[in-house]
Amino acid sequence: MTRYIIIRTIWIFIIISIILTLNFTLLKLAPEYPPTEKNDRSIYFARQVSDGYMTERVERNPLIYNAIYNNELIRPRNAEWVNEDDQYRVYEPISIANQYFSWVENIVTDWNWGYSTRVQVNVPVFDVLKSRMGVTLRLNLIALFFYIPIGFALGILAALKKNSVTDNVISLGVMIFISIPSFVMMTLLLMLFGYTLDWLPTQFPSADLVGSIQFTGLILPVLGLSFGSIAGLTRLTRAELTEVLTSEFLLLARTKGLTRTQSVIRHAMRNSMVPLVPSVIGSFVSLLSGSVIIELIYGIPGTGRIYIRALTKNSYDYNLLLGTTAFYTIIGLFAVLLVDLSYGIVDPRIRMGARK
Amino acid sequence: MADKNKKYENIDKSQFQFVQDEKKIFDKKFDTKPIGYFKDAMMRFARNKTNLTASVILLALILMSIFIPILSTKNAEKLEETLSYLPPRIPYLEDIGIADGTKMRYDQPVDPTTIDPETGLGLPYSTLEKYIDLSTLENYYGGCTGKDELCEGGQNEIRIDNNKTGAIVRSNTWLSFSKIYSSKIVVDVEFISDEANSKLLVQAGPVAGVYVTIGEITAPGVYTFDPYLDNPVFPASAKIQLRYESEDTALKLSLNSVSIVSETEDASEADQIKYNYSVSGYTLSQYQLVSEVILNDEEEVIAAYSGTYVRANGLRLMSSFRFDAYAEVFGDKSQIAFPASEYNLLMEEYADVCIQMEDPENPDGWLFPEGCPIVKVNFQNESVFVPGKGEQFSYNLVLNYQIYAGYEEIPYFFFGTSAAGKDMVKLIFIGLRTSLTIGLLVAVINITIGVIYGAISGYYGGQIDIIMERFAEIIGRIPWLVTLSIFIALIGPGIETLIYVMVVSGWIGVASVTRTQFYRYKGREYVLASRTLGAKDSRLIFRHILPNGIGTIITSSILMVPALIFTEATLSYLGFGIGHGQSFSILGINMSGVSIGVLLSDGRNQLRQNPHLTLFPALIISILMITFNMFGNALRDAFNPALRGSE
Repeated sequence: MTRYIIIRTIWIFIIISIILTLNFTLLKLAPEYPPTEKNDRSIYFARQVSDGYMTERVERNPLIYNAIYNNELIRPRNAEWVNEDDQYRVYEPISIANQYFSWVENIVTDWNWGYSTRVQVNVPVFDVLKSRMGVTLRLNLIALFFYIPIGFALGILAALKKNSVTDNVISLGVMIFISIPSFVMMTLLLMLFGYTLDWLPTQFPSADLVGSIQFTGLILPVLGLSFGSIAGLTRLTRAELTEVLTSEFLLLARTKGLTRTQSVIRHAMRNSMVPLVPSVIGSFVSLLSGSVIIELIYGIPGTGRIYIRALTKNSYDYNLLLGTTAFYTIIGLFAVLLVDLSYGIVDPRIRMGARK
Repeated sequence: MADKNKKYENIDKSQFQFVQDEKKIFDKKFDTKPIGYFKDAMMRFARNKTNLTASVILLALILMSIFIPILSTKNAEKLEETLSYLPPRIPYLEDIGIADGTKMRYDQPVDPTTIDPETGLGLPYSTLEKYIDLSTLENYYGGCTGKDELCEGGQNEIRIDNNKTGAIVRSNTWLSFSKIYSSKIVVDVEFISDEANSKLLVQAGPVAGVYVTIGEITAPGVYTFDPYLDNPVFPASAKIQLRYESEDTALKLSLNSVSIVSETEDASEADQIKYNYSVSGYTLSQYQLVSEVILNDEEEVIAAYSGTYVRANGLRLMSSFRFDAYAEVFGDKSQIAFPASEYNLLMEEYADVCIQMEDPENPDGWLFPEGCPIVKVNFQNESVFVPGKGEQFSYNLVLNYQIYAGYEEIPYFFFGTSAAGKDMVKLIFIGLRTSLTIGLLVAVINITIGVIYGAISGYYGGQIDIIMERFAEIIGRIPWLVTLSIFIALIGPGIETLIYVMVVSGWIGVASVTRTQFYRYKGREYVLASRTLGAKDSRLIFRHILPNGIGTIITSSILMVPALIFTEATLSYLGFGIGHGQSFSILGINMSGVSIGVLLSDGRNQLRQNPHLTLFPALIISILMITFNMFGNALRDAFNPALRGSE
């Protein structure tokens, strides 16, 4: 078991580093968008130099100066020439491989994920994310704890009353809610409860508002996030429980003299939980990536909104993109790790990674 | 036992005969028809009535997406601004009040002169009056920030510009002060921060050319100041000036009212009015911002005053009402300057109906009989000289838009019209066609890649399999946010990015199914037989193993199509996929950049005013996804009965 845990953990870390490396390298190939304002721009380039992504030199040669001045030289990609009276300050990016090592070094030694260039100019990326992670995580956790009991309950109900009207209604509902895209669902909910009926706020309430609006403002995004998950969990619970309910050991439990309720709760439920626990952990990842679009629709100031803003056309904020995607990647892959480990822990029959 | 068999002992030989002495036996034909694999699957498919219904609906949607864009005569290409945002209108349904071409308007400022004394309801400032359904008219107070008379109450806020010391506002009129009645200045401050040395100096003047400070406010409340206290010679007519200073320019000052209160109980009525003055809300907002720079002796700036002065929390009488949008659009419209050239063209085109008649009420203008696009001409505008074109003139006239736009009767737009006045039905099905084509195309690409990858991985097994599996896992673990950001940064939003994002990790599911199928079949005897006969790997893969597994692979991949449509809609909704104005060609079909996701994205900011922009695309895509998923499940269950019920 220990060996399995260690191997899985190392493997997940390898995947994380491959994805992050890929992301960094490919984004570095794209044209940079430094801050637009002059002061911010000079701070940005000074930082690029001190963080080890660029070299700085002064070009005093009058020939070259004039050539630059008259736009006769083609500027290398992502380089910057700053005119200082009779000289040019030249900032040039170093090779991507070396930039990559500087980047890793900055993260490992200083936890420096770079600085935002467009969204919140020259603010450390991690600070930008830190101020927004709370909302996103809170929302997703609420959705998680909201959808699990409902999904389980509906799934159990459908399995116990298999092939009855209740089961058919639930199955049809599952089919409908699993199919409708979350953003369509969210928009429809917003239209119905927000605008037509006017029961709930149509925008996520800002943090300085007090009172019940903070609660009512959570209802729509949580609903929008969890409808699909409820449907998924219901379907899975129903499938698993139906399978267990027809198994021999349950028949044995009944012949032993247990009532139906006892046998279902003590034997069927427990066994059907095995694949459900990992799937619930895994669903957190899909919740999280689904919340990007919900955040956009409902104006929630979370990491998803920041991601979309950093990806504004021709104003890309690469450092912030790297930070945000790293956040999603790391959370996602740790959930995967947790799922893998939970398989081994929940069900001793499954011995993954054991030697054959 | 022996007794029992005894009776069989002596049977005469003649009693024996051959069953088929002379006959040859051939295989008998079955009386029933044989049921093949495909037919069996179809029977199972047809047995599930719900899924069959879903498949029929899906087929209908697909057929509609092909034929509606071709057959519909409505406009979905060119911009028709006047027809924009028409609500849905459907024959028969309109008679029972659904989709009757009316729509709600909210937050329209009320014209106080139209308030009906009986009902107390006022009409909005607009030309909609004729078309409003009065039973739905409601008046209410809504927030406003405008500096006009109808925006009542609330506060006025002073904010300081960046890097400035403070901001100054000054009364716009000269105010009267009287020492006899001991006039006092009363300032009611709603909010002032206690941080960053914020303070409000109440000043008046000019006294000998300068505004003198009469009082200082650092906390919210009502303050009364006596201008005569420090200034024995205070002028009878002065202006009040409020000088707000703060070190933090993010802090604001919020003012309720400014008044002058005098002890005029015994004075004449004229004096009472003259020396008692109070401004708040709108009247207070008329105070003017004053910029000021204070220099020291060396002409250096020591303080600069500049800022903004805005209304806050004001209330305005608003109305909401339902009005007949079609009647409004296709009704009579006043045109202030209708070009004469166009007028002449219309006259030529409708020469037989447009017979000029005298207007008894208006000697400058003339009337036209019914059926003519122009109802009446009010007068001819003065001519203007345009260089290069000579004298140009225009008419002030009333246009019948229905005839002018060439509609014999008011058209029915079943799903309403878009912002550009295009028919939503046609747009939605054009969008659906695009979504389906992209979905199918990408599914084909993904299945091809997945089958090849899975085939190699499954066929060769061993080290190759392990490495390929690991690679697939890494690719599959990349979050879509990462793929999206990379492609957006490198290529930019558009159809290519869309397809790449969907292809990058889309093939992995197919690859793993194919791999399983290969593991299942590669050890079979017929494969071994073929191999012993010297068949190459490619022949084994494509001729022997793949045909056996392809049914399972395809049926399990059919659910990929709705998933891809989902992704396409999501990305286009976020603005990273296709969009209006783009056009591209897939397999020889020219597509415009309209998909369901694009349409939903258009409707995003119009949820309240024009819900039809969102409702219908949302319904259609929901129906598509539901039926496609049901169809996919049904197909898979039909072809692989063993998988039934498991997901």
